Amino acid sequence: MSETRKIVRQVLVIGALSVLVGAAVRFPLVKRFARGEFRETFLSPADYPGIRLITLREAEDLWAVGEVVIFDARPERSFREGHVPRARNLPEAESRQKFPADVLELPRERVIVVYCEGGDCQSSLALAKRLHDEGFKDIRVMTGGWAEWIKAGLPAETGDAEK
Amino acid sequence: MLKNKTLLVVFRLVLGGLFVYAGIVKVLDPLDFAQDIRNYRLVGQALSFLAAVVLPWLEILAGVALAAGVWKRASALIITGLLVFFILLTLVTIARGLDVECGCFGALSRKSGFGVILEDLGMLFMGLGLLFAPERRD
Repeated sequence: MSETRKIVRQVLVIGALSVLVGAAVRFPLVKRFARGEFRETFLSPADYPGIRLITLREAEDLWAVGEVVIFDARPERSFREGHVPRARNLPEAESRQKFPADVLELPRERVIVVYCEGGDCQSSLALAKRLHDEGFKDIRVMTGGWAEWIKAGLPAETGDAEK
Repeated sequence: MLKNKTLLVVFRLVLGGLFVYAGIVKVLDPLDFAQDIRNYRLVGQALSFLAAVVLPWLEILAGVALAAGVWKRASALIITGLLVFFILLTLVTIARGLDVECGCFGALSRKSGFGVILEDLGMLFMGLGLLFAPERRD
């Protein structure tokens, strides 16, 4: 067998072994995936019991009642151009910094709604995880994000007053 | 072409070791790694999940093979291939202006940027040196 063919065969063997070993080691997880889990997020409810995904309607209801704290995970520039009224900007781009003191002083039972741009955005989820790690117990991720909010014609606020 | 045998052995151990380490930290928390992949916003949930299950083992097996000197060229080919892919991925990510963790070394991950590319280039240098090292005749 030529040298190239031998190498290609070995590469394929290592690749196939990786698939087999990966699937075997993570068989329970693969089974959960096959059953339909993790199709929206990779959050395992056991790891993050305090995080829930919510629809625009649920977010709107919470916002209308006004008892919630709303965090906008988008970059500051997007936030200034328009955001959910009363939302506060906690850009995930600055996730290496600690949360501001007044955020950390919030009661851990407060209901928190987080959102990002919408569509494919992942930063609201990352923010939710960080808040969860800080001990917050009820974090709701508005998966449709800002795009869905504005598309539904809901009120918006501009500027950085809440920052 | 690199011919110094000692240097090539050092390259094998260092590069193989780095890949084994990178693979192990990812194996430990597949969901976290799946999220890291998803954050790049190039592939959907299913592919991110599959990659998170398989990719760490590809790194570990290729790394072990390279360090142990078994199937040296094949494992060096896989590792250089992965590195080229990581570099392209990071470049695309920078071009798209995404702010993501690179997901490369678990807790030691940092922002996907030029620092990551430099590291990858360093590893790529070793990988190519090994891939194109002259055949031993002993």
